[in-house]
Amino acid sequence: MSLLRRILAGLKSLLVGLGITGRHMVRPVVTLQYPHERPDVSRWGGPIELVTFPETGTHDCIACNACARICPSDCFDIEGVRPPGLKKMRATKFLLDFSTCSLCGLCIDVCPTDTLKYSAHYDDAAYARALTVNDLLEPFGQDPYLAGKTP
Amino acid sequence: MSALHALLARLIGDFGATLVLGAGTILGYLTFNVLFLIWLERKVSAHAQRRLGPMEVGFHGSLQTVADMLKLLSKQLVTPLATDHFTFLFAPILIFIPTICLTSLVPLGDARAFAEMPNGLVVVVVLSGITVIAIFMAGWSSNNKYAVLGGMRSVAQVVAYEIPVLLSALSVVLIAQTLDLHEIVSGQHVPYALYEPIAALIFFIGITAETNRAPFDIPEAESELVGGFHTEYTGMRFALFFFAEYTNMLVLGAVGATLFLGGWKGPLAGRWPFLGPVYLLLKAYLVVFLMMWARWTFPRLRFDQLMNFAWKLLIPVALVNLLVTAIVLEALPLR
Repeated sequence: MSLLRRILAGLKSLLVGLGITGRHMVRPVVTLQYPHERPDVSRWGGPIELVTFPETGTHDCIACNACARICPSDCFDIEGVRPPGLKKMRATKFLLDFSTCSLCGLCIDVCPTDTLKYSAHYDDAAYARALTVNDLLEPFGQDPYLAGKTP
Repeated sequence: MSALHALLARLIGDFGATLVLGAGTILGYLTFNVLFLIWLERKVSAHAQRRLGPMEVGFHGSLQTVADMLKLLSKQLVTPLATDHFTFLFAPILIFIPTICLTSLVPLGDARAFAEMPNGLVVVVVLSGITVIAIFMAGWSSNNKYAVLGGMRSVAQVVAYEIPVLLSALSVVLIAQTLDLHEIVSGQHVPYALYEPIAALIFFIGITAETNRAPFDIPEAESELVGGFHTEYTGMRFALFFFAEYTNMLVLGAVGATLFLGGWKGPLAGRWPFLGPVYLLLKAYLVVFLMMWARWTFPRLRFDQLMNFAWKLLIPVALVNLLVTAIVLEALPLR
């Protein structure tokens, strides 16, 4: 009798197992087709980038080098000029070596114009060390202040 | 088809034309079937795990297996030095032959099958047992301890599970009073699975074990034996083992459908004969789908559990079932 009971219990457990996988088979999938679908990472802190202010449509880096001084890994390479007729400097070169950046965020805290932030980029892998140096001014194109226009 | 047959018959004679056309049709369909089944296996496994599976090549990844086959065709064939060369090369061919023979035995419709025999069921059982010789040849000739273990496990397993398959098929034979697969179907007005649910279940378990599918896949247990008997095989030779496994699934599924699910019979199959093969294939693929579903649900059995299950449970139950069937058939004046 106990054998029969064990057989029936075993059969039932097999059916329960099939039921579980069968239920999951008709449920929606939980994976993303990665290169085509990307997860929402807007809250994630990726490589440092410059903020675009909506009032001016551009960044507000004054090339004060505060970030470069506080950076524990010496990632920054910043140069700037003072456009004629303006009090503030404008950055002409803003390189960030991401291969040594530890994303500590000290530069973001120290920035006097709040123009640094964490980006939401995450697929910045590269085959050469030189390619990990990000030109943070690149997305902004020609600087309107340096071109003589004041937005 | 008949025009083509007539043309070929003028060239190579009537028998030759039938042979060429029959073998061409069967092999062509089997190739398609393997590509489809591997794709289906990957899809079933994926959806059982809430994934999507292959999606990139073709519509929903439908051409993925074609790409895989082309890759396997182009790969180098490595023959390890210490193998028994003739046996090593012959095993992947031999594993394939009984499967093709089996395919030609299953009646596809009310018309006769390619090679029908008055004792077809016996031939089916015998041929499906031959596969194990090829598996053992592959395991032994590889001269690899994992391959030998896989081959030996396969022999023990198939020998053990052949018996319940045969016994459960015999209970169908008792009802149908014939060994001819064609007549078993024509006499089957209600699917025999309803008369013989236990036999149908045992048959299903048996064919799962005979095709070396999980949870009975110890001959090729990946986590224990690398690849089991096909560890040393590369490229298209390896693909032939896969080909044989998936073809075997379909063919044994079709035999199961013939014995227990009413074969080619279905609504309107009598009026439109082309529906016969459709119904048979649908039923066979249903059995195959169940096998895949089971594979992605159950863990692999340990070897002693596997043997105990066959010898201590399946065979006695199948024997009792056969006996009860015989007694009931004698006691009740059904005919």
